[in-house]
Amino acid sequence: MLNQRLSAALSVSRVFRAAPLRSFTLSSRLQQKSAAPETPELSSKKPLSRIAVGVNTPPKATATPSGSLEFASWKAIVLLLVTGGGFTWFFSREKRRLAIQKEAEANRGVGKPLIGGPFNLVDHNGNTFTEEKLKGKFSLVYFGFTHCPDICPDELDKMGLMLDELKKDNINLQPIFITCDPARDSPEIIKEYLSEFHEDLIGLTGEYNEIKSVCKRYRVYFSTPPDLKPGQDYLVDHSIFFYLMDPEGNFIDALGRQYEADGAVAKIKEHVASYLPADQRQQKKEAWYGFLFK
Amino acid sequence: MTWLNFKEEQTDAPNRSARKQCWESRDLFFACLDKSKIENSLAPGADKQVASACAKPLKAFERDCASSWVKYFQEKRYVDIKKERMIQDMKSKGIEVPFGK
Repeated sequence: MLNQRLSAALSVSRVFRAAPLRSFTLSSRLQQKSAAPETPELSSKKPLSRIAVGVNTPPKATATPSGSLEFASWKAIVLLLVTGGGFTWFFSREKRRLAIQKEAEANRGVGKPLIGGPFNLVDHNGNTFTEEKLKGKFSLVYFGFTHCPDICPDELDKMGLMLDELKKDNINLQPIFITCDPARDSPEIIKEYLSEFHEDLIGLTGEYNEIKSVCKRYRVYFSTPPDLKPGQDYLVDHSIFFYLMDPEGNFIDALGRQYEADGAVAKIKEHVASYLPADQRQQKKEAWYGFLFK
Repeated sequence: MTWLNFKEEQTDAPNRSARKQCWESRDLFFACLDKSKIENSLAPGADKQVASACAKPLKAFERDCASSWVKYFQEKRYVDIKKERMIQDMKSKGIEVPFGK
């Protein structure tokens, strides 16, 4: 009963739909007339408009599915929003993925790599470590030195946070620390130093010329003060970046100090998600629709 | 190999607790410099002022940090002060600061 009243009230409010409204008014008037003998006070004392709708018999006209147009329109709006939103989300995601792929591809360079390349160093356990070991997984390379006063420890702590955060998403980077201070940083010293930061960190050192060469290849500026006496305390100036290398050992991005751990993690995730192996990249370029990615 | 030659003379790199100790002493020393309104503690002639105002925290700072760090942190402090002043100056003139803060 309450439902019927409610629907009747609703249909009255639908002013723009004239036909059902008219039929409803007519039928209710008819009902009033036929009901008059039993309840004379209703028809004689109160104006028609004041008589509660559907008092005696349910107004049949309102029960007809006359509201189907409105019903369809809210459905249509929801459908539009959902599909529109879906498409927007999908295309913006695809656009971002392509942008990231393009950025990585530009950084990989053609022919000779812009950043990175062969090196021959020694890890913190005294084993040889070359660029070959960058293959098969994403690596994050950081240059620093163990006597670094404040920035390197901060950055290495940040790197530890990033590694743990990425592990939650099953992304296992190979974190690499390369010293710019081979004179003081022996494998043992690096091992002890890195053990305080993250257990996955691989520390690399080597002969001065090897370090100089790897720094040059990674475009790392570093300078040791000239005329050093053995045992003298000094600092090494160096540039501060995390280098993200893809599983082929190619450089794909440099993350500077402007990135907090969260931002760097988000960027790395994007790179990992949009990474395509070399053969697939080539295939895509050569396909008939390859012009789309240029 | 180069590092082997130096190894005997070298002390190990400061570990986490040594760094923390050094940073704490540094902060105490710098707080004293701030209070005494000394901006460039390495400026020629500033040493007397530093010695009279902050002798004790300076001694602790030098004890807890390697000599290269002592120099580095003081230089950095002065650079940061100048940088902050420049940013404030640019902001007051309505220039957009490109390097944040």
